[in-house]
Amino acid sequence: MNAEAGRSWDALARAAARAREVREEATLMRDLLRVEVGGEPYALPVERVREIVRLGPMTKLPRAPELVLGVISLRGEIVQVLDLRRALAAAAKPPTRRSRIVVLHGESGDIAGWLVDAVTEVLRVPEAELTAPPGDAGELVTAICLRGDRFVSLLEPDRMQNLVAV
Amino acid sequence: MAGKGRKSARDKAQLEFVSEAEELLERMRDDLSALAEAHAQGREAQPATVNQLFRSAHTLKGSAGMFGFAQLSELAHHLEDVLDRLRMGRATLGRPGLALLDESVSLAATALEKLGRGAGDETLSDAISDLVGRIAAFDATPQPETGPALSSLELPAGLLRALTEYEEARLRESLARGRGLHLIEVELELSAFEETLGELSRAILEVGELISTLPSPGAASDSRIRFLLLAASELSASELANRLELDVSAVRPARGQGAPPGRAPAAAGAMAPSETKSVEGEAATLKSLSETVRVDIKKLDELMNLVGELARERAALRALGVRLAEERATAGLARELDKIQRGLERKVQELQAGVLDVRMVPLRQVFDKLTRVTRRLKLDLGKDVRLELRGAETELDKLIVEQLVDPLMHLVRNAFDHAIESAEERDRAGKPREGLIRIEATQRGHDVALLVRDDGRGIDPDQVRASAAERGLIAEDAQLSRRECFDLLFLPGFSTRSNVTETSGRGVGLDVVRSNLSALGGLVVMDSTLGRGTQVTLTLPITLAIVQALLVGVLDQSFAIPLGGVRETLLVAPSDLQRSAGRELLNLRGEALPVLRLAHEFGLPLPAHDQKQYAVVLGMGDARVALLVDRLEGQQDAVIKPVQGPLRAVRGVAGATELGSQHAVLVLDVSALVEDGGYRREGPA
Repeated sequence: MNAEAGRSWDALARAAARAREVREEATLMRDLLRVEVGGEPYALPVERVREIVRLGPMTKLPRAPELVLGVISLRGEIVQVLDLRRALAAAAKPPTRRSRIVVLHGESGDIAGWLVDAVTEVLRVPEAELTAPPGDAGELVTAICLRGDRFVSLLEPDRMQNLVAV
Repeated sequence: MAGKGRKSARDKAQLEFVSEAEELLERMRDDLSALAEAHAQGREAQPATVNQLFRSAHTLKGSAGMFGFAQLSELAHHLEDVLDRLRMGRATLGRPGLALLDESVSLAATALEKLGRGAGDETLSDAISDLVGRIAAFDATPQPETGPALSSLELPAGLLRALTEYEEARLRESLARGRGLHLIEVELELSAFEETLGELSRAILEVGELISTLPSPGAASDSRIRFLLLAASELSASELANRLELDVSAVRPARGQGAPPGRAPAAAGAMAPSETKSVEGEAATLKSLSETVRVDIKKLDELMNLVGELARERAALRALGVRLAEERATAGLARELDKIQRGLERKVQELQAGVLDVRMVPLRQVFDKLTRVTRRLKLDLGKDVRLELRGAETELDKLIVEQLVDPLMHLVRNAFDHAIESAEERDRAGKPREGLIRIEATQRGHDVALLVRDDGRGIDPDQVRASAAERGLIAEDAQLSRRECFDLLFLPGFSTRSNVTETSGRGVGLDVVRSNLSALGGLVVMDSTLGRGTQVTLTLPITLAIVQALLVGVLDQSFAIPLGGVRETLLVAPSDLQRSAGRELLNLRGEALPVLRLAHEFGLPLPAHDQKQYAVVLGMGDARVALLVDRLEGQQDAVIKPVQGPLRAVRGVAGATELGSQHAVLVLDVSALVEDGGYRREGPA
């Protein structure tokens, strides 16, 4: 009896998963978080963003590469904060009131914070409008798309994480 | 460049998978040979054995899949399928089926061995897909599904609904074989029910089969719990009661052996219809209740965090009390608040101890695994070695116990492989032919010490020194103490060379043991006497979840040091410090302690040299080091959290904790600092 109930639930779950797949195939839209770093627009995949926080007290992490600004406490969770300016070779500048830390999900369930100059909006971009970056766009940029008259560079979070060699 | 850390983390995880899978396959081999034996003697296979085989295959399938070993997972999947049919009574396996299972397990073992050496499992893909095809084609004789109707049994109606599919299949099987079915009702102390129930289950297995164990309503008090056990046995109810040392009334036949259901005694038949309904509902809900006893360790972590926060709130209350006491007008209120605050403190401490206690498990779990591995090594290597285990009841945090398996396994394998001589060699040396590996666990305050000792050939420190110099790991003329010599064995570049393995009598991968221990905040120290044997001491904290911490300050930054690693603190004047051969030493009541300046270690600006400093004497096992800081800032409970982010580890930092106002404070890694302090060649410039 239990087993029968279990089977029907299974069937339902499978049907739901199938329906979801079909929907996703039909609409190839990407949701991107647009941020500003060194005066240029960049984008991060929304599904990798856990939260966006204001700059609070930061604790320096000794013996760490310069890219690692320090650690913060996110409601008790301790998270490294990295400098996206430095990662993108933008000139150093002290944080302003618009500065934010974008907390991204890592590959292995870890999270990491990235300091950006500002978070501006969420973009919905059809997959087809994302094009390969020109050869010298830097290894962090996987695609670019034209919004208005500006190119927004899509950053790849895993490659960002890999900047910190252990 | 990048991704190296992640890759090695994945490698480590895969290694863990390999060792877990090895154990699974080992157990499956044992179970298979038990089945083969039963088959050869014409006995019915033990259902528990078949079920265990099924579970092993299921676990193997899951973890192989998780680590991306598709072929191995596929093979395990088909094995699981066959075993599932077998355990559900939908198939019987004869000799060819057993041979096929045997072959599958062997192939899985070969695949695993390749994985262990770093090769993928694709290399065996032909052999695996061939076998998978044969398993799929294997036509296990199906059995007729039509068994006796279960409704003819004298069972509480709710019980049948609470049975799992497997249990129901076993019930049908027992009925079909005409065995007696018995309902056993026991009421046990909640505090010890698992143990008593375990004993009872084992006793039942000796005379029959335990089909199901169900919690049952109606215990006499909150501290007791009732269970209903459904057992099949050739014995009569009274014989069974006798055998289990239970009151005769506790065991009643659900169907007497060979007797038609109608002749069941009144006690069971008297179940009134009105009662049946309530039992039905309760049996179903209580069944799920019994499963909530198992708790995910993460939930305990969350609980621990809450307790930590509670402790912080209490500290804030106390601070408020101190302020109130300063005002004459509120001094009376302050005293009352203080009383309440103290009561609260006690309760918080009890709560904390309670949560910690739940996390504690005895080392026995690890020891059992070691015993299994030793049995296997004995067969594989043909060496006569006795494994002596002491202190199995010593308790440690569940997470630590799990992390301990690998290092201990490593040490035991090494001792087996390399340290213990052949029987002939031992004869010549005047030692007993049988080698001895002894592991002894003892609790020392907040630490647990594990001594792993063998009576093998031992290691010559001079030879270790010479090998290290040869490899350029140390200077040709380096002056090393005995302990420093043995410590060289834990260097990554050292122990992986196979020829050193021969001469040192110790095997590969000691660096792995050390890094595993460090990750747990533990320390590993080796000592050895040539010809007599080697001793490795692992020292570990009992728990990682919450610690009392000493807060210290350097410049404007605070750090927390787990109090378990702090031996004492003292104010030192520059004149108490001295230099010797590039090292700074502190004269502590006539004893020379190596000095570490935290500011120097962490690359912070150094304070003026004539400034007074505090020395925090850190200790781990017997090793000690004096850590110099600017300030002592008090004590506090801290929940140590890992530092999340792409930077995998910072040496000397065990984690971090939040001490109010969202401020993260780094927690120092005492074992790493003690190690660094003891073996540093250069002092601060």
